[in-house]
Amino acid sequence: MATLTRTRAVSHRSEPAASRTATRQLVRFMLRQDRVKFPAWVGGLGLLVVYIGAALPQLAPQEKDLVSVVPLLEQPVGRMFTGPAYGLDAPTYERFFAGGYALYLFVLAALMNIMLIVRHTRLEEQTGRAELIRANVVGRDAQLTAALIVAGITNLAAALLVTVLAVANEFAVTGSIVLGSATGLTGMAFAGITAVTAQLSESSRAAAGMAGAIAGAAFAVRAVGDMAEVGGSALSWASPFGWASQTAPYVLDRWWPLVLLLALSLVGAYLGFVLQNRRDFGASLISARPGAAEASPALGTPIGLAARLHTGGLLGWGVAILILGAVDGAFANVMLDSAEDLPPAVQEMFGGEQLLARYVAFLATFSGYLTAAYVVFAANVLRSEEGSGRASALLATPTSRFSWAGAHLLVIGVGAIGILLVTGLATGAAVAGSLGDSEPFGDVVASHLNMAPAVLVVLGLCAVLYGWAPGALSAVGWTVVALMVLVGNFAELLDLPQWVRDLSPLSYPAEMPIEEFDVLPLLWLALVAVAAAGVGLAGLRRRQIGVR
Amino acid sequence: MNVIECAGLVKKFGNVRALDGLDMTVVQGEVHGFLGPNGAGKSTTIRVLLGLLKADGGTVKLFGSDPWHDAVALHRRLAYVPGDVELWPKLTGGEAIDVFARLRGGINRRKRDELCERFDLDPSKKARTYSKGNRQKVALIAALASDVELLLLDEPTAGLDPLMEMVFQQAIREAREAGTTVLLSSHILAEVEALADRISIVRQGRIVESGSLRELRHMTRTTVVVETENSAERLASVPGVHGLHREDGHVRFEVDGDRVDQVMRELSGLGVRSIVAHPPTLEQLLMSHYGDDLTARGATAGVK
Repeated sequence: MATLTRTRAVSHRSEPAASRTATRQLVRFMLRQDRVKFPAWVGGLGLLVVYIGAALPQLAPQEKDLVSVVPLLEQPVGRMFTGPAYGLDAPTYERFFAGGYALYLFVLAALMNIMLIVRHTRLEEQTGRAELIRANVVGRDAQLTAALIVAGITNLAAALLVTVLAVANEFAVTGSIVLGSATGLTGMAFAGITAVTAQLSESSRAAAGMAGAIAGAAFAVRAVGDMAEVGGSALSWASPFGWASQTAPYVLDRWWPLVLLLALSLVGAYLGFVLQNRRDFGASLISARPGAAEASPALGTPIGLAARLHTGGLLGWGVAILILGAVDGAFANVMLDSAEDLPPAVQEMFGGEQLLARYVAFLATFSGYLTAAYVVFAANVLRSEEGSGRASALLATPTSRFSWAGAHLLVIGVGAIGILLVTGLATGAAVAGSLGDSEPFGDVVASHLNMAPAVLVVLGLCAVLYGWAPGALSAVGWTVVALMVLVGNFAELLDLPQWVRDLSPLSYPAEMPIEEFDVLPLLWLALVAVAAAGVGLAGLRRRQIGVR
Repeated sequence: MNVIECAGLVKKFGNVRALDGLDMTVVQGEVHGFLGPNGAGKSTTIRVLLGLLKADGGTVKLFGSDPWHDAVALHRRLAYVPGDVELWPKLTGGEAIDVFARLRGGINRRKRDELCERFDLDPSKKARTYSKGNRQKVALIAALASDVELLLLDEPTAGLDPLMEMVFQQAIREAREAGTTVLLSSHILAEVEALADRISIVRQGRIVESGSLRELRHMTRTTVVVETENSAERLASVPGVHGLHREDGHVRFEVDGDRVDQVMRELSGLGVRSIVAHPPTLEQLLMSHYGDDLTARGATAGVK
């Protein structure tokens, strides 16, 4: 009797915890798998703090010199890309840092967590590795719990490092702690969001894509909200990035917006567990439908197959880029109106007509680097085709490596040009509509297409990497995109040296419509792109397939 | 005519010699069994034959050409089924079959539909919903529905149920009747025994035995289980008899292939009540090459 009671007591006591059995071991295992990514991401965030801390005195040797650059952050387009611009009426290095760059700490933290959660949950499940894990004495919720704990550890490390390095920049301690906490908690919020999207799709790519789309939407909502007025508007408060920005480090040092981020991460995690318990292992909440029993004739060619494989990514990225471009374009009149509020010195620098031209040139660069990001994303499909063995099976047919990889490159290149064209048309229409003047339409479209050869250079680079050093494709490709964003957004703000600007292919086309259209750089870029593609394909012909 | 000729083939991955002087010949029109345990070098050999990997040494000829240099031309004449088929999750099985077959230069539609029926595959399902066996069927159907001279099959039946295994064997027999050459890599002995005209046994990247099943058996021992009126114990001293022992009133021993006749004469004088003699099974063939390996592993397992 006594034994019976005790047994029951034991089983009863272990019941609530059973679904999380082995969480501790999984946490250790995940940290082991992340032994490179963890320090790389956290260190990258720290590096941003150190680099900008060091760059600001270069930009403005005295804090009072900052006054001349503040308008770049404070005017509406500046606010779109940097945040609510708190405290810039009396700029200091720390305020300029928080006003101009803190947002990118938050965005990077969000991306870090999206990838982290997907990597440790849906990707494991999709590849079947999680099945091996789950078949052991491992609770149903253990994997997601462990992934969230690992995210927590990573975000804590990031928050501490950002805080410490900001203090090392001689920034105020309280503000630095607010900044670090906002970075870490933005990360946690997106860990929570990704815990939900990871339940919604069977593929890790789609799960990351959904979370990424939410991050993009959050960025856009905040951009529009912050553009409306200094200090942000109601719309700024509809976005997690807005909450993080509203902590206003070094100015207001508000703590309570952090509660919103914490709440979002908890709600996300809770929903993630609820959804996970409602679905089967390996399944999604969105079920599969039957498709065609026979392939359409187009599918039987390398180009047809590549087109089919790239359609999803192309549509996702294309629509996102188009919307971002068109939204920015629609704000052209707000931007021009606000020009009147700019200090006379800055007005003189841009001039009325010149200001619109600068804005159009910026929109083209913006679409340019986003399209380059699509190109790198799509080029990685070649890697996953090879890694999964599908490339081997295809190359065992009389399809040459040249036509297999060439078809992918062709489809990606045409897709990228298509994105630029359609985004140019939509943005042009938005600018024209917002100004009530159809004249800029042609300029916007032309300046977008002007970027195409530079974007194709990125594709060429991806081809070279894939042919000669496939392991480096992802890392080098995304680094180049990050560089293009850095140069495109911050070349002036950070006073980047010329050689850094020269690393971005987008620096070479004529800066339309400020400058006259020039065909020569475009021809050179196109030549480089084609030559690089050729070199890459030649590399693929001489290397082995499916060898790591 | 030889469809596949490998001589002294070497393939290194870092310090590991995956192929270590592999010699193999596959004659036109035969089903050639390629036997060996996991990691012996079967898949590596096939990937070299496909021109996906480049050999580090030795020569390899497929239809008389170098598969690394003439991959595309050679691939018009062959179809390949990997042991672990990965498909595009968003394409249906039917679409995947057509993609492979069309890239190979066309498909026999009647045969494709017939094979779908025989293998009981629903081609309208998305590939991500398929089990391993169903993904395997997709690759098999795509290969078998193409008009090719050579089938390179790398453990093609992994994941198939026994019924489908029979369908597969029937399909391979039909292919051979049509004159197709087949290289069938496998570790399922019964499958190779049922299908193969000739066999190569690979071990640690090297062929240790090659020939028809009959030839291989000839080289090894026949097992005899006999019940006699007079004691058969004295046979133990006859040359060529090994491992004689008594069990349940029977005597069991093994005889070298070339001594069977002599032993039978000895036996007839002992008053045979019942006798069972059988050639070595493929298991015994394999064990004779891997047996020492197994014992060695068993012996060291405790020490580790």
